[in-house]
Amino acid sequence: MVNNMPKHISSGLKYIAAVELKSKGLSHKEIADELDLDRSTVSHYLNGRNLTWDSIDVANTIVNMCPKDFLSMMQVLFKDIDKIRTMTLILKSEEYKTIVSKSCIGCGLCVDLCVMKAIKLDSLKAKIEADLCCGCLICEEECPTRSIRILEVNK
Amino acid sequence: MIKNEKEIKGNDFNITRSAEELRKLSFNDHVCIGCGICESTCPVEAISLDAIANIERNYTGTYFSGHEKITQNNVLETNKAGNKTKLTINEDKCVLCGMCSGLCPASALTLTIDNEPIKNIDAYPSYIAYAECNDDECIYCGKCEIACPRDAITVKRNLPERAKLVTGEITPDKDTCIYCGVCEEMCPADAIDVTKAIGEEDIVIDTDKCVYCLVCKKACPVEAITAVCRLCPYGEYDLDEADAEITGTTIISEDDCISCGWCEGVCPTDAMTVKKPFEGTLVTDPEKCGTCGACVDLCPCNALSFPKTKGPGERSVQIVSNDDYCIKCGACARICPNDAIEVSRTGVNHTPTNSESWTDALEALKN
Amino acid sequence: MELKVNQDNCLGCGVCVVACPINASISPEVAGGHGSKTEETIMMVENGFIKLFSPEKCDECGTCQMFCPVDAIWLE
Repeated sequence: MVNNMPKHISSGLKYIAAVELKSKGLSHKEIADELDLDRSTVSHYLNGRNLTWDSIDVANTIVNMCPKDFLSMMQVLFKDIDKIRTMTLILKSEEYKTIVSKSCIGCGLCVDLCVMKAIKLDSLKAKIEADLCCGCLICEEECPTRSIRILEVNK
Repeated sequence: MIKNEKEIKGNDFNITRSAEELRKLSFNDHVCIGCGICESTCPVEAISLDAIANIERNYTGTYFSGHEKITQNNVLETNKAGNKTKLTINEDKCVLCGMCSGLCPASALTLTIDNEPIKNIDAYPSYIAYAECNDDECIYCGKCEIACPRDAITVKRNLPERAKLVTGEITPDKDTCIYCGVCEEMCPADAIDVTKAIGEEDIVIDTDKCVYCLVCKKACPVEAITAVCRLCPYGEYDLDEADAEITGTTIISEDDCISCGWCEGVCPTDAMTVKKPFEGTLVTDPEKCGTCGACVDLCPCNALSFPKTKGPGERSVQIVSNDDYCIKCGACARICPNDAIEVSRTGVNHTPTNSESWTDALEALKN
Repeated sequence: MELKVNQDNCLGCGVCVVACPINASISPEVAGGHGSKTEETIMMVENGFIKLFSPEKCDECGTCQMFCPVDAIWLE
C-alpha cells in the first residue's frame, strides 16, 4: 500500500497541473503533450473522474509546501528531472527577484545545484534566470561566498 | 547532493565535481614552489600548505655556494621519497572555483572545466609571465638548459657533419701503393684502413672521418696519395656556409617554467625573453638572518644564496638575494623562521577579467 | 670551465674554428671555411697551429671539442 501511495499522489499533482493548464486555455492535446499523459487520461482528469478527493487533497498540500520541501517531494515522486522541472514551473507560480553580488567567484556550485537549471555562468559570475527560479533557496544557502539573494515578489 | 570526489596518486591529487560541467582540480607536487599564495587566496579556506616538505631536505654545503642545480634536484627527490604532499586540500570545503589555479605562479594547481584548463578560457584571468626563445638568435649552446632551476628547458642540437665542414679530395693510387700501412698509423682521425694480407691488399679512406690534414700524403713513401684540402687558403674551393650551420630546437616546458629569468641571464646571444608575473622588491635583514638556509633550499628560482666564505669552517653571516632571478613569489618570506626576509609585490601582470572578486583577489597579492 | 689547446697535438685542420658557433656569429665567413676577416674570433689557425685569440668569449658549449679529431682543444 505504501508503495502505491506516491503513484496516487503524483496522479493528484498531474491532475492539479492539468487543471492549471486548462485554466490557461490549453487544449486537451497540448496538456497531454506537456504532462506526458494519454489524451484519455487528461479527459478523465478534467471531467472529474478516476481520482479520489483524498489524493487531490494530499497533492494540494504538497503544492502549498515551501519551495524547498516541494522540490524534495517532487524528487521522490518523479524520477525524471525534466518532468520535475515542467511540473514545478506549472504548479509553483510565485515570482522571484534574484540578486548576485560582486563577491561571486564563479565557482559554479549553484549551477550544479540548481534543480531548475536557472543558473548559468557568465564571465565568472552567476547569472540567474528569474523566470525559471522556483525559490528553493538552495543556491543562496550553499553559496560559499554568500553572494546570492533570492527575494519573493509580492503580487 | 553534489559532492566532490578526491583521488590521490602518489603525492599528486585530483578533486572532481561533475554535474552541469566536469570540473577537475589537479595538483602536481613536484611543481609546487611552496609560495602559499593559494592558501591565502582560497575563498573557502580549504587549502593548507604544509610547513613545507623542505623540513626533510638535505642540508648540503653546496647550497651555500650559490647556484647549484644538482642539489636542487636532490631536494625534489627527497620530497618524493618522503611521500609527503606540500599541499592539503579539504575536498569537503573546496568548491572548485579555480582561484588557486588561476593565481598559482607555478601551475602546480590546475583547474580544468570539461577538460579545458582555465588558463585557456578567456573569462579567467591569468598571469602574463613567460619565457620565450628567439630561434633566430639561439645558438643552441644549452647554457639555459643547465641554468634552469626547474629543468624546464630542453635543447636539442644538430651538429653539422665533419665531412661537410672540412672538405677536400683524397684518393689513393692503388697501383702505386705498397700497402705498407704508414698512412694508417699516422692518420689522426682513423680514417684510413689498410689491409696488408697478401693477395687481399686494399686501402680504404673514409671521407666522413677524414679531416684533410694531408699527414698521410706527407708520410707516404711512394707518393700514392693525392689529397687537397679545401680549407687551405691556396685552394680555390667554395664551401657552402649552410652546411656549417648548427641547427637545433629549444623547448621550454610551460608547466615547469616559472619565468625566473635564469635563461635570459645566461644566454650569450640574448635569444631569451622572460616576463615575470610580479613586480616588487625582496629585502633581507642581515641582523635577523639566522643563516639556516631554509630559504636558499626552498627558493624555486635559486635567487638566494650565501656569499662564498674565505675558508672551510667559516660561516657566512648574511643572506644575499639576486633580484634578477627573483619572481617575488614569497616562499622564502613564508618559510623564514626569523622574519628576516620581506617580499613586497607592487605589481601583478595579468590578463583582464570582468569578475570583480577575481580582480580583488589579484589586487590582494600586492602588499 | 676554461678553453685549453695543446699545440703539440694540433694538426691545424681548422675544424674547431669552423664549427664554433660563437666564431660564426663574430665572423660569419669562418663558418664557410674562408678564414676570418677579423682577429676577434675565439681561435684561429696560425702558422699551422691553433691559437686562442679571445678565449674569454668562449661560451663553453663544447662543439670544438666534439669535432677535434686529435683532442687538441678541450674544456677543462
